[in-house]
Amino acid sequence: MYIFNSIHEIVNTIALAKGLIEEMFEKRKLLSFRYEYALDLIDGNRLQMLLEREVIIQNGAYLELDERFMDFFELLLEANEEISTASIDENIQFIRQQMDYYLKEDNLSRKNGYLRNVKAILKKIGKITIRNVINLQRNIDNTFKNEPNYKIKIAKLENLDSKRIDIKKLIDTTDELITNKERIFFQQATDEELSYIVLELRKELLDSGHSLIRSQQDIINYLNQIKNQVQLVEKIRKVKYLRNQFELLSKSNLKDILTKEQSVILEGRTTATFKLSLNFLASDDARTAILKANSNNRDLKKRKRPEAGVIKDEYLQEAFSDEVFINLEEIKNSFLASGNQLFNFIMSYQFQREVSFEERITVFCQMVSLYENEFDIRQEFGQYQQIEYALIYSK
Amino acid sequence: MELPKNTADIFEYLQKGLFISSNSTNEEIRKMYYTIEEYYELLNDYFTHINFCLEQGNEYYYFSRKEPKATLEQKINRAYWWIDILDFFKTYNESFGAGYRFSPADILVQSNMNMELQIKLDGLKKHSAGKEKRKEILDSIIDRLIKESFIENENEINNTYKVMTAWNYLEQLIESINITDETENEISQ
Repeated sequence: MYIFNSIHEIVNTIALAKGLIEEMFEKRKLLSFRYEYALDLIDGNRLQMLLEREVIIQNGAYLELDERFMDFFELLLEANEEISTASIDENIQFIRQQMDYYLKEDNLSRKNGYLRNVKAILKKIGKITIRNVINLQRNIDNTFKNEPNYKIKIAKLENLDSKRIDIKKLIDTTDELITNKERIFFQQATDEELSYIVLELRKELLDSGHSLIRSQQDIINYLNQIKNQVQLVEKIRKVKYLRNQFELLSKSNLKDILTKEQSVILEGRTTATFKLSLNFLASDDARTAILKANSNNRDLKKRKRPEAGVIKDEYLQEAFSDEVFINLEEIKNSFLASGNQLFNFIMSYQFQREVSFEERITVFCQMVSLYENEFDIRQEFGQYQQIEYALIYSK
Repeated sequence: MELPKNTADIFEYLQKGLFISSNSTNEEIRKMYYTIEEYYELLNDYFTHINFCLEQGNEYYYFSRKEPKATLEQKINRAYWWIDILDFFKTYNESFGAGYRFSPADILVQSNMNMELQIKLDGLKKHSAGKEKRKEILDSIIDRLIKESFIENENEINNTYKVMTAWNYLEQLIESINITDETENEISQ
């Protein structure tokens, strides 16, 4: 373990890395402060120095503040939430020893030394007690509000209750110490500051005692509430079980309860309708109401649609019909293969059905317009009945 | 003594079979609650004349009447629905009760991880008129609980709901059910 040479060295070391230490202290509960992250805040050499002097401890890829420094900062900033009664206990032991030495010591300056110790510790006891009491109350509230697991919640509250008893005992012991047990010491040590400190301590102890009574009430109250909740949950489970087994009505008094229960809630939503007063209807004020009611009625009528008649059976019968289409593509292909003249070709073409002369003319025109590029259209014309047509051959 | 100004509002609200809860997010309802608290005797006396009894619960008020219109069967069906609901929400979180805040999204996430909750949510299908998807079932349950004034939508943006003190009525109803001793033993086994 690194031992610092002087206060000067400690203060300087901390001052060199104050940004980093502040950041690490803030994140002390997260437990994952990465080495690389520290390098962003401080240069490597300084970080190395801090590690050597054990202000910061490296744990794999993570860094953490050394326990001694952490305790020191928490103590000064009163940021520790732990309730520790051991330190008060130790202090009481220590103070009794110091008082004993004081009484046995003849040398005045040494006597004063012991007296100074006693004063310092009395002050300390007061502060620690108050902090413990505040932390206890905060822990109780937090546990009740935030702990989701019922069993842990009950165990935590019971532990906090035993802590409360410990603190109470220490308050009583301290009180006993300054009032009765060491009466001779306080009679002999007539120091103005000491009596002021004792007075202050008594006040602090009294306040703490009162606060503890409240904590005790809270704990009892919270434990009762939890117990009721647990019982309720249990009850719901049982009732639900019987409901699932269809046995609820025969094995419980639900029927009786519901027969007696007459709340309107059980009726569901009921709407009462009243007739309008005839006097009101005869007055002018009623006009708007009547118009409104009338428009509602009209809307209703509009919405009503006449019912459609029955569909006749014959419409539902399936019927087939065949239709023969003229396949122009096929005609074109046979024409190109034939080497004939188009007009004559179409006139003599064997269609799958009867095709009239006019239709054949239409087919001729369709062919020319569709496959113009594939035909050799000449500037010579033929004549058929009253029709003049261009002579067309395949290319 | 004169009746408070919002007597008509109170009547209108309560006769629909709704609760007036002290922790409502609606200011009007809170105002009604405090009016009833202040003029309880007077209002109760007044409503008694028209056969309604103003009942006082733990932080909530509701109406009852001597000759209720519901049949025993209707009452039992309604009680069954409440038992299913209580069981479901207590499975979701044991501290679910008056003042509790929740979001349906969280319940759905939980139901994906917690088999028991999932089965219970599926079991509530019978109360949600043919809804199939879990989200739809949950939404329809929540809708119904809002209509029955047991919960309120506190924040429409994050879709969070607050449980009204009227929830105590349901818990009290369950607490008042006595199960025969032998059955108790049977269930615990």
